[in-house]
Amino acid sequence: MSYMFGGNTGAGSALGQSQGINPNNIAMAEQELDMLTDTFNRIVDVCHTKCIKNKYPDGELTKGESVCIDRCVSKFFALNKTVGEKLMAQQQEMQK
Amino acid sequence: MDFSNLNDAERRHMEQLVERKQMKDFVRMYSSLVERCFIDCIDDFTSKAVSSKENTCVDRCITKFLRHSARVGQQFAEENAKLMQQ
Repeated sequence: MSYMFGGNTGAGSALGQSQGINPNNIAMAEQELDMLTDTFNRIVDVCHTKCIKNKYPDGELTKGESVCIDRCVSKFFALNKTVGEKLMAQQQEMQK
Repeated sequence: MDFSNLNDAERRHMEQLVERKQMKDFVRMYSSLVERCFIDCIDDFTSKAVSSKENTCVDRCITKFLRHSARVGQQFAEENAKLMQQ
């Protein structure tokens, strides 16, 4: 999961604010991290099941599998958004 | 994900947290890979030794999983960046 943390070279660290730890900030950052990690792991799992069909003439991804993986990841994100929107709409409906 | 909204002390704290979580995540990935390749490759129980055929299969299963995971990582980073821009 190291790709999630690339480019964090400490820009913005020169803000000179007091250096105490705000537990709320940590909790928020941790939650975001956990969510990203969890989503990533789910996608790896689910797209492996859906896309890796050649078991195993060799260790390379076939062209078809590669295309499948790319689409699988995009679709998972799309679905994530759709479900979020629908749930949100439903919740707003219930609050009326 | 960057921690640009955090101060130095918080960022150091998060970096340690990330390190611990990466270790945990690695262990999780390890055992799930064992399970996956066991299911896909091991089905001959006439001997307790892993046959050379099974071994080859496991080798490829691991390689393929790592390639798969890397590809998902690329695509994931792309989709996530798009999401963050919105």
